[in-house]
Amino acid sequence: MLNQLAFYLFASISILCGLGVVVASNPIYVVLWLLGALIAISGIFFSAGAELLGSLQLMIYVVAIAVFYILIITAVPWRKLHKNEQHNRLIGVSVLPFIALLYVEAFLVVMSGVSVSKNKIIETITKNYGNAEVIGIKLFSTYFWAFELMSVLLLISMIGAILLGRKEEKTYD
Amino acid sequence: MIEMLLTPHVEQYFILAFILLGIGLFGMMVRKNLITILMSLELALNSVNIAFVGIDKVNHLIDGQIFALFTIALAASEAAVGLGIILSLFRLRKAENVNEIIDLKG
Repeated sequence: MLNQLAFYLFASISILCGLGVVVASNPIYVVLWLLGALIAISGIFFSAGAELLGSLQLMIYVVAIAVFYILIITAVPWRKLHKNEQHNRLIGVSVLPFIALLYVEAFLVVMSGVSVSKNKIIETITKNYGNAEVIGIKLFSTYFWAFELMSVLLLISMIGAILLGRKEEKTYD
Repeated sequence: MIEMLLTPHVEQYFILAFILLGIGLFGMMVRKNLITILMSLELALNSVNIAFVGIDKVNHLIDGQIFALFTIALAASEAAVGLGIILSLFRLRKAENVNEIIDLKG
């Protein structure tokens, strides 16, 4: 029951901060709203019993990726940012019906009933070990191939980011 | 009704995931600045993680959390490459909004 109350608290905080991400005009404020949303989502993970995922969300998203964004924002000059309009209002108004359609579809799906098959094999293991141990066992046995592929993907993206971020001799304009 | 609100359901996670996904999609379309578009994308990616974790919570599984871990790794690599592209776009073309990128020929 306390878990449910925590879920409602964190859910309302994350929706509020998500609206702030879309509405705010200053990019620094957008980063701060995004930080609030990410921290609230990690709270949802903790309240749902996914401790490892929540702590990784805090460590990777809230620390590493947010620092990335702030680093890039500092590379862009401020005067031009303040002069320009931040939202494309025409596209916003024309896209709004489709977002509403998505919400109506979600409402219909939920009303018609979402059901998942019960499978309680893991629950007995989780009682003896913790969340992180069970994830480790599954990750290094069933999903080992996907784990290796993900490490190769991270290596490729690191090399790509280094290649993209290097200095070039000439500019094109 | 109160009883239903106080026990965990898979629907509540799905509704929250849908709301956040809609906000993220709307932000991706309505924003002009490239950096804020990427931030809305991060919000949309996180909403999928919420759905995975909710299914795990109700169904007593662990697989969804592993997929959510993969999503976090994917988001990290996407942020690195996307921000590198934005930085080089700005340095070479002085473009930081989507409507300023008007030609693709290097």
